[in-house]
Amino acid sequence: MQPRAEMVHWLFATGLLLLGLCLLSEVVVGPEVWRRRRWRTYLWPGLAFAMGVLMWPVMTFFTNSAIHMYAHGSWAEVLMLAGGAELGLVHGRLKSRWWRLTMPLAFVVTGTAFIVHEQNAWFFARSAFLHHLLGWTFLIAAVIPLALAFRPRSATAQTAFALVFVVLAVMLYSDRDTAPVFGHLSPLAGPQHR
Amino acid sequence: MRRALLIAGLVALAVPATASAHATLRSTTPHFGTELQSSPRTIRLHFDQQVRLLPGAVVVLNGVGRNFAGPSRVEGTDVVAVVRPLKLGAYTVRWHAISADSHVVSGVWTFGVRVPAPSVNDAYGAGGPTVQEHIVRWLWFLGLAVAIGTLGFRLICLRGVEVPQRLDRRLAVAAGIGVVAALEAGIAGFSLRAEDALQLPFGRYLYGDLSPMAATRFGQAFVIMTLGYALVLALIFLAWLLDRTVFLVPAFVLALALVSGFSLSGHDAVDAGSSSLSELADWVHIGAASLWIGGLVALVALTWYGAPELRGVAFRRFSELATVCIFLVLGAGIYLSVVRLPHLHDLWTTGYGRVLIVKVGLVCVALAWGAFHKFVIAPALARGASSGFLARVGRSLAGEALVGVAVLLVAAVLVDSRPPAQPAPPPAAAARP
Repeated sequence: MQPRAEMVHWLFATGLLLLGLCLLSEVVVGPEVWRRRRWRTYLWPGLAFAMGVLMWPVMTFFTNSAIHMYAHGSWAEVLMLAGGAELGLVHGRLKSRWWRLTMPLAFVVTGTAFIVHEQNAWFFARSAFLHHLLGWTFLIAAVIPLALAFRPRSATAQTAFALVFVVLAVMLYSDRDTAPVFGHLSPLAGPQHR
Repeated sequence: MRRALLIAGLVALAVPATASAHATLRSTTPHFGTELQSSPRTIRLHFDQQVRLLPGAVVVLNGVGRNFAGPSRVEGTDVVAVVRPLKLGAYTVRWHAISADSHVVSGVWTFGVRVPAPSVNDAYGAGGPTVQEHIVRWLWFLGLAVAIGTLGFRLICLRGVEVPQRLDRRLAVAAGIGVVAALEAGIAGFSLRAEDALQLPFGRYLYGDLSPMAATRFGQAFVIMTLGYALVLALIFLAWLLDRTVFLVPAFVLALALVSGFSLSGHDAVDAGSSSLSELADWVHIGAASLWIGGLVALVALTWYGAPELRGVAFRRFSELATVCIFLVLGAGIYLSVVRLPHLHDLWTTGYGRVLIVKVGLVCVALAWGAFHKFVIAPALARGASSGFLARVGRSLAGEALVGVAVLLVAAVLVDSRPPAQPAPPPAAAARP
């Protein structure tokens, strides 16, 4: 009944990719064109919020270790918080720009959870390597939404913000061993799945 | 940027791949919580990768802690332990192994030989509820009461009233905070139960396998409630964002429907004397109490001081709602007390009974306070009152709400306590020749 772990990784990687592509589209066509249809402004914050809601089943169904449960739980909460705050700002319900700080906060929490829940060193395996890489990318990239909180019109920061999500999506797609395109190389990993 | 992306992609592809970092238990023989008709010869744990053994990797403990497992061995990705013949009874299996990544993974499960397997919460070595668990359950009750009470207050007491937008949003925020508190307390409660069952130091508990815990009735309640309340949170958020009260209706119904999840996974569902009627009574008891106490908090904290123009109508309507809730709380509570306490003297001779006396005492204080508000304050408000009088009423309502919060604390202790044993059923009539 439970979907395989890599499928869940791919699902959320797709979410991150869509999120990055929305942001990138806005950068490419410019905010004036992008916001000509009001619903477009809700796209990426709504997607982030929905990903937060969808992370709750992951937390409750993947309980093979306590630390995974806490990591998934923290992602669910910060995704809902950051997505919700952005939706509030877009809709005009929230006025203060300080609410934009929820996004860098989400990046920091997500990055920390990635690093803490990975028990192995960087070069133990590809999944370990990518978990560390994802964690540090989130932590370092937190400066981009932080910069956007204070300079929301900066084209450089907007572009970097969009690209970070695309890069993170690629990393998350590559994170599991059973993706056939990446093979199955380590003898420690047990029998091949396919 | 393009070059950086290319390098990152190449690095990701170049590093060798393995499965998930530490070993995951895929299946066990016997399975979690099964009742066997004969003693198993071996205990088998099937992992997703090869593991190394620690001394005492698998132990099979009876009710007094005697180990029946012999030395363990590794067979491929399985760990196999030989078991000496087991007599009728309940048994606990505790296991530890070293993953390929050198981390120790651990777990526990239970099975029975010709008796039903105990819950993994009752595994040998588990200590039972602690003070932390009482506090967490109290916070969980409080969160639910604030969420359900605030939603109920908005939808029932302020129905058809011109509610200022500011108050509407504050009510949605308060309900959201209540749901978040309930979610966090639920996670903490589940973790405390799992930690107690696993009996591991914190560092090793983090890598402990919680699947047997999630398979218990308590674990299933945790899963359903967490998913349900996450949905409730999303609905409340939409109501706040779009200023649409209509989203609060499914949020209220869902929150109320799931309110007794943890309780139904406890004594009401498994102890002798429990029935579908006692489960219904439990749901009514907790739902009505949450609506009463949480609604009172919403009245005093958000409306009394936040929207003075609504004081009269909110007070009058809440008074009517509280009357209905109190009747439901008392009716269901009395029924449950009769079911759980087989003898009157259990009230003062058992721990469960003594906690119940404290709870009933506090409920009586809250009832007397509520009656004072209904029969003395409400008519005075209808006649018109001075600002000094209104300020005193606000403080009095806050006092009643605090007593309600104290009732929830005692209820948390009561839910974690074990009711006295039911008398043995009369011996079956001798078979007729």
